[in-house]
Amino acid sequence: MLNFSRFVVTRAIMAMITLIIVSLVVFSLMELVPGDCAERYLAFKNTQGSGISVEDIETERKRLGLDQPFLQRWGLWIVNAFQGEFGDSCILRVNIAQLLGSKFWVSLGICLASLTLAYAIAIPVGIISVATNNPYLNNGLRLFSYLGLAMPNFLLALMIMLFSTVWFGETLTGLFSKEYRDAPWDWDKFVDLLKHAWLPIFILGWSATAFALQTVRALMSDEIGKLYVTAASARGVHGRKLLWRYPARHALGPIVNSLGFDLNRIFNELPIVALILTLTEAGALLIEALARSNDQQLAGAIIFLLTASIVTLNFLTDVLLAVIDPRVRKSIIR
Amino acid sequence: MSNTPDPLDPNLAETTGPHVSIVETEDAVERRAKEAYFTASQSQLIWARFKKQRAAMVAAIVLLVLVLSGLFAPFLSPYDPTIAGRDKDYTNGAPQFPQFCDDNGCSVRPFIHAVERERSMATNFRWVTTVNEDKRHYMRFFVEGDDYRLFGFIHMDTHLFGVEDAKIHLFGTDEDGQDIFSRTLHAIWTSMKVGTIGVFIAFVLALIIGGVSGYYGGWIDGVIQMITDAVRTVPAIPLFMAVAAFMPPEMTAESRFFYISLILGFIGWPTLARRVRTHLLTERNQEYILAAQLCGAKPGHVIRKHLLPSFTSYIIVDLVISFPYMVLSETALSFIGLGLKDPVSSLGVMLQKATSADVLLNYQWYFIPVIFFIALVMAFVFVGDGLRDAADPYSDNNK
Repeated sequence: MLNFSRFVVTRAIMAMITLIIVSLVVFSLMELVPGDCAERYLAFKNTQGSGISVEDIETERKRLGLDQPFLQRWGLWIVNAFQGEFGDSCILRVNIAQLLGSKFWVSLGICLASLTLAYAIAIPVGIISVATNNPYLNNGLRLFSYLGLAMPNFLLALMIMLFSTVWFGETLTGLFSKEYRDAPWDWDKFVDLLKHAWLPIFILGWSATAFALQTVRALMSDEIGKLYVTAASARGVHGRKLLWRYPARHALGPIVNSLGFDLNRIFNELPIVALILTLTEAGALLIEALARSNDQQLAGAIIFLLTASIVTLNFLTDVLLAVIDPRVRKSIIR
Repeated sequence: MSNTPDPLDPNLAETTGPHVSIVETEDAVERRAKEAYFTASQSQLIWARFKKQRAAMVAAIVLLVLVLSGLFAPFLSPYDPTIAGRDKDYTNGAPQFPQFCDDNGCSVRPFIHAVERERSMATNFRWVTTVNEDKRHYMRFFVEGDDYRLFGFIHMDTHLFGVEDAKIHLFGTDEDGQDIFSRTLHAIWTSMKVGTIGVFIAFVLALIIGGVSGYYGGWIDGVIQMITDAVRTVPAIPLFMAVAAFMPPEMTAESRFFYISLILGFIGWPTLARRVRTHLLTERNQEYILAAQLCGAKPGHVIRKHLLPSFTSYIIVDLVISFPYMVLSETALSFIGLGLKDPVSSLGVMLQKATSADVLLNYQWYFIPVIFFIALVMAFVFVGDGLRDAADPYSDNNK
């Protein structure tokens, strides 16, 4: 038990270090944007009619703490970030934590739902396809996987929009009905969200399923040829029992391990799908911040949050793996 | 290996003197086949295994056709893909199909019907295009048209096809009247270029970083792996977007193009670097490396002369596999407006306007290029998969 907690602590520290490296990357990127927050704010004020001078910019810079050295500001940013505090948005002049609010959790929920959907389909289908050895099923699945890989999600989203507008006269976009858009969270709003969210979940889940299927199939076909499976079937274990008890359990470890990268892949697609389906969540906000307003504070915060959730998931899967897989457990306790 | 005798075999090909048929025992045939197998170079073996996979071969042919049509895009496409080649009388025009027959009879030479544009009291003062079924424009081949440079330096103005006294738009036109067929062909080439440059940069970085990490091992490996893993956890497309957002908007299309390829390469290296490292780690403990080191070979020499050749084929496979992701990332970036911009033809740029309800409802031919891109990416994925199976010396045992 002591060893196990030591393992958890080590993993947690490693996750922290990863996050710190990531924050350095993200923060340096934010610094690279031409112009800083002070200039941007005052340029905005300028368009409102009030004249500004170089002194104004300097004062604003001082107020925002932009005159401090790079490392110090990075330190401050990362300490605040771990407390969920990202300062104010450069353009919108509101607190980022408030601005993101529930939007980030909606995004995360959509992504996790598509991840779950992907594996809920991929694990049984992958195992069955390896076990049955039916050439038509296998080739069909192979083609499906490749299509999932080749068809970027945004194209799929566009196609679905194309067909839904041509045949149903409805674009199926947005996340909330009009009456719930600014309403506080309650059950009805949640149900309304689910009514709209199935499409992004399906679109994001589509290519995730293709990837997951490939992983499951590769792992299963590796395991199924091994001697312990032959030995088990020689002992008289057959059919579903054989599959689930032996090769599937061995293949489970690497699958759990790959969850983090699958989430990463889904996050990749999220902003673009959000843009096409005009979702109002963090992904769309990220595009808004990057493509339209050059709001480095907001963009940095969102990228950091996305990465932090991947790192957290990686940490959780590591611990989960140690719990479910006796081999990993053994190697920790030693 | 097959048991049929090789036609290039000196015993069977041309023999001088009277024709004698050399009867070979089955044993000899088999032995020769085995000999060929054992003396074949690595690339010959890979090619032999690759040829056996039907799906990969079909994909390779599709890929070749697409690459060639991209390479000869200026010649194959009837018009200039930029605003210079626009057809201002046929904006948002539907695709035109060359036909041989109509109500007025048939002709040997394919033709299209003339399109007339009218704005008058009758049309409520809006431009309305109508097809005139009685007027024909005949197709011609090797016509002279817009100037272009083939391969970037051969000055030409001959295009494969065109029509008399009008313009033909196989895939229709967009809202500026630019020919979608011409743009598609050029866009394929753009994707190939972006992908190649991106993969090349990612590859060089991966080779250096993964090489150092895998060759030295120990704490250097530990630190580099930690950084690589950290970079890998950041979702790539948001990162692309962040980097791409720094490009000043007044940048020319050309430098934008190189910048985008550069970004793709700089963000795509970690996966490749990891593969290089894994290959190196397994190879570096082999005895032939130890022998070389004992003979006093320097690290650079060992890496170049002994380690790299041992896994070149794997690296090539990895490059082919990572290619479609570069292409897709570029498309996604351009689509949201952070990648390539208008004068350059690219699928992302072409699809930018396709989300509007107007296009979705009325001008569905905007989506025709998508088919070509799915074909391109699929072809790359299939070829990459086939190559991976072919490069794996144990794949024969599994099948």
